[in-house]
Order: sequence, then C-alpha cells, then structure tokens
Amino acid sequence: MSTGLHMKPDVVEAASALLGEMKDAASSLTYGALLTDDGFDVARYPVKADGERFAGMASSMQALSEAVAHELKIGDSEYIIIASGKGHVVQLRVPGKELVLSALFDNDATVGHALATTRQFAQKMADLLR
Amino acid sequence: MAEHVILFTGPMGAGKTTAIQSLSEIEVVRTEATNSERHIVDKATTTVALDYGEILVGAQEKVRLYGIPGQRRFNFMWTILKKRAKGMVLLVNTDAPDPIGELLFFLKEFRELYDKGGVVVGVTRADLVEGPSLAEFSDALERTNPGLVIPVFTVDPRKHHQMQNLLLTLVVNIEMRAAFGMAGAR
Repeated sequence: MSTGLHMKPDVVEAASALLGEMKDAASSLTYGALLTDDGFDVARYPVKADGERFAGMASSMQALSEAVAHELKIGDSEYIIIASGKGHVVQLRVPGKELVLSALFDNDATVGHALATTRQFAQKMADLLR
Repeated sequence: MAEHVILFTGPMGAGKTTAIQSLSEIEVVRTEATNSERHIVDKATTTVALDYGEILVGAQEKVRLYGIPGQRRFNFMWTILKKRAKGMVLLVNTDAPDPIGELLFFLKEFRELYDKGGVVVGVTRADLVEGPSLAEFSDALERTNPGLVIPVFTVDPRKHHQMQNLLLTLVVNIEMRAAFGMAGAR
C-alpha cells in the first residue's frame, strides 16, 4: 500500500530545502507550498505558517483547473495564476509527480518573473525526486 | 424548466462519486486525485473539489447533482457548495469506523439543507459488513434530531435504479414540504 509523499521524510526534507532556495532566488516570494494532489501539506515557506487549509484549497484549485481544461478540450492545465492588488499566486504541477507547487509573490515581481521562477523550482523538485 | 440542486455528502468512501456517475445523464465533471490515505480508506483516488452531474426527472425537471469531497480538510468546499444546494443525499458506508457518528456529523454540518429543502439518507456497503441496522440509523436520527422527517434506505451507489429511487424520494419530499410551506423559508 502506497504512502503519501507528505509522510516520506526524505521528500519533506527535500521540499523544505527547495522552498528555502526559492526564497533566496526570489526575494518577492512571500509564501510557498508544496502539496500532494489530494491536499496534504508537504512543506511550506515560511515554515511556521499553518499550511493545512491552504494545501486543501490549492489541491482543489489544481483539480478544477484540470477539469476545466478537460471540459474545453484544450490539453493539460499548465499553470494557474491569481492576480490581486497585493500580489500574484502562481501554481503548477511538479512535472510528472503527484505534487503541486503554489507560490505567492508580492508586486515587486512581474507575473512573468513569478511564473518563470515557479516553473524553474517545480522542475528542480521533479529532478530531486527522480 | 424547474430545477433542483442536490448535494451528495458523507464521508470519504461512502460512494458519492459513484452515485453521481450512476445517475448523471451527462459526462460527470470529476476532480479526482491519487489517494494518499489508503491506510484509512483503501481506494485509488479521491475527490478533492467536487463532482458534477445532471439528470432530468420527468420531462421538465432538471436536477443538478453536486458531490463534496468527504474529508474534513476540504470543508471550505462544503461552505461553497452548500450555499447553492436545496437538498441533500447523505451517504454513509456501514464499514466506516463509526457510521452513526458520521451520519450525525454530516447532518449537523449540512443541517441548513434540511431547512431549505430536504434530506434523504442512503446507507451503503451494507451487504459487505455487519454494521448498524436501518432501525439503528433511524433511531439515532430521531434521538438527536426529533421531529425531522428523513427517510433512510440501504442503497448500492453503482445501481442506477436504486439511486434514482433515492433521488426521487428526496425530490418528492422537497416538493411536498415546499407545497405545505415547511421548507424553503431560509
């Protein structure tokens, strides 16, 4: 019987380290989370934040984006962006994994920069899990 | 065309997605993810946002069927979905660790749907394990919610006709209560 990625200490450790590295690379990152497809928090930045509720919401959003892409027959959902007055949330799947990276950037980052950074670190996470 | 919006609730593994799949006349919108909790409920995938299907009852009544994710961590979806619903099919699997506790928990969480329309209960997986009887489920409802009229059936969510009977019972219940001014006030 498989165990969720959030219960694997090596995955949690790698995910935590990756989010720290992401913050070093992008000072505009104010919140980042790696979560399982079914809504379990694997790691988050800042660590002391309560990630359980957000992980559930982000996983629902991911699944809904995939359902919309399926409904409209436009291929896979590649990323989600929520733009707001105080920042942007960028979310995408870790390539080939049942993991999602969701990141909040303040308005010092452009949407393009936020998306590029999130993509880069999602790919890094995939490489770490290979 | 008249419309009903019905919410399928109950714990993870009760059969909500299967029930909507059995009933729906359109391709069901599903939001399934790999289940990390197979040590708790041994199934490959689980709903993480909602299920959505539609069925016509008679020639002119469309019933929109929404299913919730059963796990407590998705209760933000419960808040969103219960706002739009006017009735509830509450499914409880008898092989859950505490099926009567789950029944009472979900009824309490979604109690406003009784006030807005009506509720029916479907007891699932009753053929697989020796769980509480229908009388015990009904007694628990009567003891904790005296005066509520909530029919309780055993059902197999895979069987279209069984689910259709359950749904029709709810629709008739909602319409009768509305006709007599017993529901829809809120």
